Formats: sequence, structure tokens, C-alpha cells
Amino acid sequence: MKQKPVAFSALMTIVVLGAGLFFGSPFVALLHSFVGADGFSALLNRQVLLVVVTSLVSALMATGLAAVVGIALGYHFTYRKKTGGRWLKTFFSLPLVLPPSAAGYMLLLAFGRYGLIGAPLYQAFSLQIMFTTTALVLAQFFVITPLMMQAASSAFQQIPESLVKASHSLGADEYTTFVKVLLPLSRPVLVAGVITAFARAIGEFGATMMVAGRLKTIPIMIYVKAMGGDAGVADGLSLLLVLLSFLVLFLVNFLGEKRR
Amino acid sequence: MTLLLEDVSLQIDRNPILEQISFRLPIGQVLVVLGNSGAGKSKLLEVIAGLLRNQSGRIIFGGRDLGTLSPQERKIGFVFQDYALFPHMTAEENILFGLQSRQAPSREQTKWLKAVTAELKIDHLLGRFPAELSGGQQQRVALARCMVLRPEVLLLDEPLSALDAASRERLALLMKKIQKKYRVTMLYVTHDHNEARFMGDQVLVVDRGRAVQMGSPEEIFSRPISRFVAHFTATRNILPGRIRERCGVGQALVEVVGVQLMSTSFPVQGDEVWVCIRPEHFSFVEASSAVSLQISDKISDEMSAENLISGYRISQIIPQSGVTVLVELMRRRERLMVFASNRRVEEWGLLVGLEVSLSVAGSHVHCLSRQPRDIYCRPQ
Repeated sequence: MKQKPVAFSALMTIVVLGAGLFFGSPFVALLHSFVGADGFSALLNRQVLLVVVTSLVSALMATGLAAVVGIALGYHFTYRKKTGGRWLKTFFSLPLVLPPSAAGYMLLLAFGRYGLIGAPLYQAFSLQIMFTTTALVLAQFFVITPLMMQAASSAFQQIPESLVKASHSLGADEYTTFVKVLLPLSRPVLVAGVITAFARAIGEFGATMMVAGRLKTIPIMIYVKAMGGDAGVADGLSLLLVLLSFLVLFLVNFLGEKRR
Repeated sequence: MTLLLEDVSLQIDRNPILEQISFRLPIGQVLVVLGNSGAGKSKLLEVIAGLLRNQSGRIIFGGRDLGTLSPQERKIGFVFQDYALFPHMTAEENILFGLQSRQAPSREQTKWLKAVTAELKIDHLLGRFPAELSGGQQQRVALARCMVLRPEVLLLDEPLSALDAASRERLALLMKKIQKKYRVTMLYVTHDHNEARFMGDQVLVVDRGRAVQMGSPEEIFSRPISRFVAHFTATRNILPGRIRERCGVGQALVEVVGVQLMSTSFPVQGDEVWVCIRPEHFSFVEASSAVSLQISDKISDEMSAENLISGYRISQIIPQSGVTVLVELMRRRERLMVFASNRRVEEWGLLVGLEVSLSVAGSHVHCLSRQPRDIYCRPQ
């Protein structure tokens, strides 16, 4: 009987060590390759720096847009949901589970030069969306908005209903209640949502790839360079994304602990 | 001038929450809404405040139909069960929230803030956040937040339920004082019958979304209209009985627990009744005077005719709050519950196993028809 806890403990140790080995090995390999291929020097290249700037700008713009729209959707589905709200919320959440390449393809169909919206835009204003920075922003926005919506929904749902009712009974209208009560109380969750959405946007590959044309973001550049055998740039950019992801997770966890 | 509710009904997700609630409350009075959890008491307050829209019926205050007004326009204050103080604002910011939302001039804000916080003795707490306040202090801040808006109606949803006994008493007194001073019409939700008796000018008993009885606390507690109301208002003795004789002088002879009692409160029709006697309406009688009641001698007596019940033994003495005990009496399988003061228990040496006699006035023997009736109250 007493052997069971020992066996269980041993099994747990093996699983944890195995998992550590499996998940740790790519990071160790990356570091090893980065040092060997002098990834740092490879990063200090004008073309690479341009890619980093493009990625940052598009991700920031997509995140800003997604924050506004995601919070609005989260608010709508928490406080103003009417008949069919569940269907609509599922619809807006679809990009979360959709393969990114399919999302990118659908965006092409909608906003491409011959697309449903893209064609009239091109005919009326000679406006081309695809294969521009706008397309990168749209692709990332499409993918990250549901994340932001879910963060906002969960933030609003955590606020006791009586606070909203109290605000209304004290004479505050919907807008005042939103600005003075809901936003301040949900700020930590919303900030965590924004950070996560930004990390997802800067790492977005599939959808962005479909609409980027000749433009490159960090993930696209990693793919291109890795396939082309240029390990230095691939290593440097990968490590940059690893560090950024680590920072994001750390911040989100920090905000979560602060909230508790 | 009254607050009038006419056939107010509310459904949520097709479930009936309130059904044809009607009552009339004179302005400046306190109506205590009494009922079990889930009876619809809080929802009734939310409907009056405009936080929920009733599907039918009208709410009229001082001649104005409130149904057409938004919560912001109704001049109704609402103190929530959890106080609903904004946790990211100080007590002062909480109190001023309503005035600022209504864009009141800053001079007026300062004036009312000072007046109300002094009244509620919370002027030293203004810089603190809700998490830094005790339950009683939070309650006062919540009350101040409503009172600075000088509401015409104040709705309180179980405001004392989360407090300890001492704070409850203090705050109940304070609320009563504030209500009297500002002459605000108050609806006070509770499931505590002691609070209901203390706070209410009128009491409305709600059961499963329906208003089953409304009246003065005395009327509700002494003359419950149904077995539910009797049970809910802690009429601990609800006994099956039978009317033997209606005496034609506002008195009836009712047989209950093996004795015949005189009652002055009984149904016009039907002999099968529930006999309700509140535990505080019994008195212990000295053994020497404990003789069988001669009904014929009492028939012509006035309303306060005393009934005598003998042959019960004390089976349990249960301490209550303060200076009273609840004495459980048994005779064979029949049980009576009686309140007595600690002093009386000591003076008379009341002990478990002792045989005692009791008296109860005929006006306190309340008989209810056992025929089920669909009862709900209408405004007079």
C-alpha cells in the first residue's frame, strides 16, 4: 500500500523531467545556433530592422484597433445582448479556431483587388488594400479581435451586477457607467488582454503570409530565412520573439497577481 | 400623495417573477417587504427603481407614472444588499458619484456631502476606500450616497443582513431617524420579522412573486391571512382546530389541543380552522389559579376574555437573544411554544419537567379557515 505514493511521485518526476527536456530542447538549440551563427550581427541589418519595424507598427496598429472593437464587442455581449447574442458571439469568436491560412484566404477574397469589398474600393478610389501594411494590420486585427473580445467579456462579467445597477440608480447613464465604473474596474484584465493580443499579432504568420505579398513581418522573415538556410537572421529574430513572448507572459501573470 | 402599484407583473426569460403586485403606500411611510429568499422582493425594488422593466401594470408616485421614466429620472435611491460601493473610489467619491453624474454644481455637492456625512457620522471616513471600511461603515456610506440626492423614495434591499447584531440595532435606529427627518417614502426588504416589526409602518408579505397580505405590523403579525403568512411571521403555534360555536357577539368557541378556547378572530364560514397563537401572547399562570376554564362564564366577557390551558409540561427551555427564553411545552404529542422573560423563569422556578398552566386572551386566538384560498392583496 505504501509503495503507491512512491510510484506516483516517481511517475510525476519522470513526466516533469520529460516535459522539461522536450520543451527546453528547442530553446537550448536556438541559443546554441544563435551563438554559433552570430545571430546578433545578423540582426543589425537594414532589411532585418525594417522587418522588425514593419512588424511592430502593424502589430501596434492592429492591437489598438482590436482593443477598441474587442472592448465594444465584449461590452455589447455582456450588457446589451439581445436575442441571438450567443450566435453572434460564436461568430465573432470564429477566428480563434479558424486555421490562419483560411482566415488569410478569406481576407483575400473580401479585400483583394477583385474581392467583394476590395473591387469596388479599387474601382472607386484606386485603393488597394492587399499586399500593403494595411493588409498586415487587417489580417492581424482579424485574428486578435476575438481574443480581445473574450478578455473584455470576462473582465466585465467579473464586475458585480449590483455596481452597474447602483450606477444607473444614482443617475449615471450608460456611457458614464462605462467610463467611470466598468473601464476602471476591468483595467487590469483589459491591459492583460491588450498585451496578449499584441503578442499574438506580432507572432501572427498564416493569415499575414496570405495577404503580405512582398512585405515581410518577423515570422515571415524567420520562415523565409530558415528555408533559405540563413540561420543567423532566423536565429536572431526567433530569439527576439522568444524574449518578447516571455516578457508578455511575465507581464500578464504580474497583472493577474496584482488583481488578486 | 401615494406610491401606487397596480397589477405590476414581471417575467424574466418567460419565468414569472412578480405577478400582479398591487399596493398603495402613503408618502413618507415605510413599507417593509417581507418574504422568503427568491420570493421576488429584490426584483420588486428593481422594478420600482426602473432597473427592470415590468411587462404589465403601472407604478405611480405622487400622480406621476414612473413607467415612462428612466432610472435616472425617477428620484429613487437604492441601497443594495451588498452596498454596491464602487471599490476603486473613496467614500467621498462614492457619495458624490450621483451628484456628479447629475452635474450638480460643486457648491451643492459640498453642501449635501457635509450635511449628510455629519448626520450619518461618517465625515472622518471620506478618504477611505470601501475595502478599508467595516460592514456598518460601508452601509452608512451607501446610505449617504443615496441621501445626498434627496430621493423621494428610498429602496433598501436587506440592508442589515450582512451585519452583526450590535451594528444591526444601531443602523436600524439610524435609518429610522433619517427616514423620519427627511420624510422619505421607504421600501425596506427583509426576511427578518423582527426588523419588519421595528421598521415598518406597513408590512407587505410576498410569496412566490405575489403580494399575499399588506397591513400594519400589528395586523400582519396578529391576524395573518393565511397559514403561510402565519408561519412566516413566526407564529410558532399553528394548530388544527374546530369552531364549536359562533356566539354572535364577535366571539367563537374553538376546540384546539383538547381544550376549548374563546376567539375573537375567526372566519365567517367553515368550521375546520388553523388556530394561530403567537408565543409572546401566552402568560404563565400560578398553579393555584390553574382551574379548568368555565366557558359559560366567559361568553359574555369583553374581547380580552382570558383562556386557560392546563396540563402541559415544560420539555425544553431555549435561550433567545437578550432577556427572553422560548419554552417548549408538551402534553402527550401536542406542543406549544411560549416566550417568557428570564426574570419570570427565575421567579417561578420554571424547569424542564414542571407542569404549568397558561392563559391567552381571546383576541390573541386567531383562527384561519383551512379552505385554501387564492389570496393576494389589492390597493384600497
